[in-house]
Amino acid sequence: MDFDFSSLLAFIMFGLTIGVVYGIVALGISLIYSGLDIVHFAHGEVYMFGAFFGLVFSSQMGLPYPLALLAAMISIGLLGIVIERVFYRRLTRSGGGYTVAGMGMIICGFGMSVVLQNIAFLIWGADAEPFPVDLGPALEVGDITLPRSYGLTAIIAVVLMAALHLFLKKTRTGLAVRAVAANKDIAFLMGINVPLMISVIFGLACALAAAAGTLIGPMQSVQVEMGYLMLMKAFAAAVVGGFGSLPGAIIGGLLVGIFENLGAAYISPNHKDIYAFLLLILVLMIRPSGLFGVEVRVKA
Amino acid sequence: MKPHARRLIAGGIVAGVLGALASTALAADIRVGITMRMISENGQKYGQMVMDEIGMINEAGGINGNMIQATLLNDECKSDKGVANANKLIFQEKVHLLIGSTCSSVTLPIVDVTAKAEVPQIIPHSTNEKITKKGSAWVFRVPVSGRYYAGVNAKYVGENIGKRIAYICAADAASQNDCEAMQAQMNSQHGAEAVYVAQVQEKEVDFRTHMQKIKSAGVDGIMIAALAETMARALVQSYEAGIGEEVRRIGSSSASNSPVPAIAGDAAKGVFFAAAYAAADTRPIARLFNEMVRSRYGIHAPDHDFSQAYDLVRIVEIALNRASLSLEDGDLAADRTAIRDAIASVKGYRGLGSGEISFCADPTPQCRDGNRTAVLIAYSKGGEDYVTEVLARVTMPEDFGL
Amino acid sequence: MRDGLQATALSVASMFADGVGRLNRIHRLVPWMVVFVLLLPVPQLVTIGLSDYYVYLINKICIFILLTVGLNIVKGFCGQVTVGHVGLYAIGAVSSALLSIHLGLSFWVSFPLGVLLAGLAGIVVGLPSVRLEGAYLALATLGLGESVRIMIAVTPFLGSSTGLMLIPPPEIMGFVFDSFQSYYYLVMTAALVGLYLSFSLLRSATGRAFMAIREDVIAAGVHGINVPRHKLLAFVISALYAGAAGALFAHMPPGYIHHNNFTIIEMVTLLLMVVLGGIGHIWGGVIGAIVVTVIYDQTLEYYFYQPLMFGLSMVLLVMFMPQGIGGVIDRSISTRRFIALRQRREAAEGQDHGAA
Repeated sequence: MDFDFSSLLAFIMFGLTIGVVYGIVALGISLIYSGLDIVHFAHGEVYMFGAFFGLVFSSQMGLPYPLALLAAMISIGLLGIVIERVFYRRLTRSGGGYTVAGMGMIICGFGMSVVLQNIAFLIWGADAEPFPVDLGPALEVGDITLPRSYGLTAIIAVVLMAALHLFLKKTRTGLAVRAVAANKDIAFLMGINVPLMISVIFGLACALAAAAGTLIGPMQSVQVEMGYLMLMKAFAAAVVGGFGSLPGAIIGGLLVGIFENLGAAYISPNHKDIYAFLLLILVLMIRPSGLFGVEVRVKA
Repeated sequence: MKPHARRLIAGGIVAGVLGALASTALAADIRVGITMRMISENGQKYGQMVMDEIGMINEAGGINGNMIQATLLNDECKSDKGVANANKLIFQEKVHLLIGSTCSSVTLPIVDVTAKAEVPQIIPHSTNEKITKKGSAWVFRVPVSGRYYAGVNAKYVGENIGKRIAYICAADAASQNDCEAMQAQMNSQHGAEAVYVAQVQEKEVDFRTHMQKIKSAGVDGIMIAALAETMARALVQSYEAGIGEEVRRIGSSSASNSPVPAIAGDAAKGVFFAAAYAAADTRPIARLFNEMVRSRYGIHAPDHDFSQAYDLVRIVEIALNRASLSLEDGDLAADRTAIRDAIASVKGYRGLGSGEISFCADPTPQCRDGNRTAVLIAYSKGGEDYVTEVLARVTMPEDFGL
Repeated sequence: MRDGLQATALSVASMFADGVGRLNRIHRLVPWMVVFVLLLPVPQLVTIGLSDYYVYLINKICIFILLTVGLNIVKGFCGQVTVGHVGLYAIGAVSSALLSIHLGLSFWVSFPLGVLLAGLAGIVVGLPSVRLEGAYLALATLGLGESVRIMIAVTPFLGSSTGLMLIPPPEIMGFVFDSFQSYYYLVMTAALVGLYLSFSLLRSATGRAFMAIREDVIAAGVHGINVPRHKLLAFVISALYAGAAGALFAHMPPGYIHHNNFTIIEMVTLLLMVVLGGIGHIWGGVIGAIVVTVIYDQTLEYYFYQPLMFGLSMVLLVMFMPQGIGGVIDRSISTRRFIALRQRREAAEGQDHGAA
């Protein structure tokens, strides 16, 4: 294929718009990792539920899109807290981490993902649902056509990240969350309600995934099986950025998005979904803790 | 305490033996095994329709007084599950006839299983042309083979649209076959090389990079070969990328499935594809069928996977009525052969399909791809209440594309 | 009655253990030989009692046993979190299939080559384990496993969407392993050999080193165990198992493999088998493979709720029985032994008192 500059620009734009969504989901995964010490394999399904909730709120209940987004975030956040309380608490309390006992966490996560996916299947069926959001005509930038939803996605994503940043850095609860993420025992000794903070972290992460789902719904339609691919990309993003690092998750997401789009455009369109993993392996080979990650903790 | 336990065990054994006897006593049923993809929403309805129609045959008195006992299993569109189901149905349930499967990649290995076990197999949906090329004497295909579709599509595209075609091919066996056959046909009929080919995953969600490249390459048409939902997404994103209406979108046969217009909405308008059944068919049988599917399964207009499942049950009914079956346990092999020969003797069946379906005894694709009439359909309106129109109806010669 | 039953079970178990021990003293291979001979007539018995289909099911169980035993070595005994095992399985299957389809190699050549290739891939999958821990390792292996599947899915030479078909069944001197029964002898032997090797491996110094790494990496390193080498070795060994299982799966009639036989769901099923059987329990893989396969088969007709139950049972299993069936059995046996010991001692003490 011959090279032209506007196409390159378009590919980067595509990468950025999908990348911020990867970033938001990766942010949630990263938060959960730092708070609960687990890799949450059911996060893709949380994202899928978010998309369906957004669809229900916006199409069936007639809420305007931004309100639907907010409603989906809140309800999925609450759902996440329930899941964490009922299912994960038992496991995280008895160690978590990556001891042989902690292996259970991975399996529990996978099991939860199967459960959530099938509950969604029983509720909404297996077919994809269109998620129509009318935002006006597409923008023409030179040779590139950009639907408004892409721009909106990017803007909302940035707003969400800024809000999260402010919450973590400027509020007392945010401080407590950071303390719990850094060290649960010391946080507990400092008088922080650690179990509550863990719930907050999990709820926040789920709300972020719901936001990503609602954002991507209009672009890709909503389907029960949508979570898996997103999960893979978000994992890659979280690892590339460094687990537990929040700016890292965002940058990881953008990198994965751009990398896979450029790869599909200039190397081989067939292997689009492999590039994310390629980037993941590449980064891990050079920096085992990701680009912005803290040194991997070895539990002695 | 202990004698009591022993008595319990003895009772259990007696009950088991009695149960086994009871099940052999019921052996005068015609046993039909079905393996289909039951996880997708429409897949579920196709399976349900096959079961419902068989139930109706039973209510109407069965086949020569014998009931049909149908077992439906889900293969999830996975070949290992499909093979396991086929083995279970054949060796444990000892079915007389196997119906399956939806996905070509599942039907392909099952063909080998039925050929070896010598069980007649009739295929509701798979279009991959390799299925009948395996030369099994036990396999019959109700849907139109992919090779015919490609011929019809390529002829129409080359004559009416142009020769610069880009291809987006999803990695499922039917779409892959449609895509490759189309490229081969465009080459042989019009000497046209593909402008752009992208192989995407079965459930790909992001086509924007491909669309941008197709846009800058400048094409006359885009062939999108994928399963319904994937295709719908690709259609929407092709418009989002700014590829105008003057570039025609060509669908693979799964474009006929209702999710395509429902999800793609306005982007489905103008998409055309070759299929086996047109809901716009004006014959009374088709009208009635449309009405029946609408009221029973809530589908606005049935796609050709519905019509094929329906035709399949009718063909099975005809064949079972013709075959002389003893239905004794010892005559299982003879009964299976009789059913095979009876299906092979079905000629000139005119049901919902756009043309006649005829089988013959030779284990060749010419004989076993019974349905050779493809109809070119275009969507003139998208959305839930979509409207289709028929562009052309073509019956292909038997050995086309071999 | 309950006590009586338990006592009987215990005495049977101890008799069994005694018998095995006695056979072991003759030669350590003898118990295995006995088991092998006992397993030989299984397909005939099954066919009389049930149907041919169950022989097929047993064949599948044998392949799963190979997979889970391999997975148990790297996961249960070396404590490495891998989620990419199914990718190695795919590599074994595809490479053996390609070698016999395109080069016309016989199964007896393509099988070891496929296993070897899977082993080499195991080095690649294992390499990250040298530097990575926990979450990173899990995701790196997940990525590698999934990449393998996508590569197969988009590369026509590797089967792509049509899959690889007509993979010839194994053949030796005119005898073709193309029926369930004949294939049973192949997979049963392979599973038994695999089990035997895993037993002897885990009782060797290497096996003990694995377990030391699982318990405490740092302490293991301090005690002179070459940690990176052993981690890598565990991956390679489990990859060899996966490759063998893959090659056997590929050549099993009808000889068809497709990329969607190697998805994450298959990986999750494997994990479920290992956890259900008891992770780190030497029989865990075997128990899990049998239980999961049989339950799955018996619930086939309830396909609508089956996946939900599958997921739910995984979650509940991890929550309430994390040590798995193997662990429960182990614990109950040791409790029984302990109680029996105490009773004996108490009885002895009672006698002493009586004498005094």
